[in-house]
Amino acid sequence: MSEDAPEGRGRAFAAAALAWLFPGLGHFYLRRRATAVLFAVIVAASFVLGLSFEGRLYTVEDGQPLTILATFAVYGAGLLNIAARLFSSNPGGTVLAPTYEYGCAFLLTAGLMNLLLMLDVWDIATGRKK
Amino acid sequence: MIAALLPVDHFVIMTVYAALVSAFFSLLWREGRRERWKLFGLLLACLVLGGLAVAWIMYPFPS
Repeated sequence: MSEDAPEGRGRAFAAAALAWLFPGLGHFYLRRRATAVLFAVIVAASFVLGLSFEGRLYTVEDGQPLTILATFAVYGAGLLNIAARLFSSNPGGTVLAPTYEYGCAFLLTAGLMNLLLMLDVWDIATGRKK
Repeated sequence: MIAALLPVDHFVIMTVYAALVSAFFSLLWREGRRERWKLFGLLLACLVLGGLAVAWIMYPFPS
């Protein structure tokens, strides 16, 4: 399907939006169901481990420009991030926990992996990737 | 939670992280079961052995 065709672009937008909402949902929409399940398991496991390790769900802080990038990365996890912020008892993490840095790394990686999945489904939907 | 099932051990956590990242990129970048397993093994080995190498290089430095 051509990228320039309106239906192709609409499908790509829908797939990318679904991919952001939940890991693997974009691939599921594009009928790559086995891959979708595996991506969902990998990204969700990374995110849940990050929370479990008492990592931090970053927010933008004054005078800390790197928190802009970190916040962008964590928001890449879509509904997982939003649900965690709403329901987690400890969204700021525990700095003194021995696993805090690992938790942050897992959370950031989960968000970044999901952003890559959005790009991947865009390429699949527009025919750039087979 | 899930982390309670894992020992708080740098090597174990690093290996779990490496396994997740390796699985992700092997699925993303390769098609076909055999090609994916090959890339998974390569990435996992590079990440874990690279991590050990960096740790070994840093060992003489005081904390």
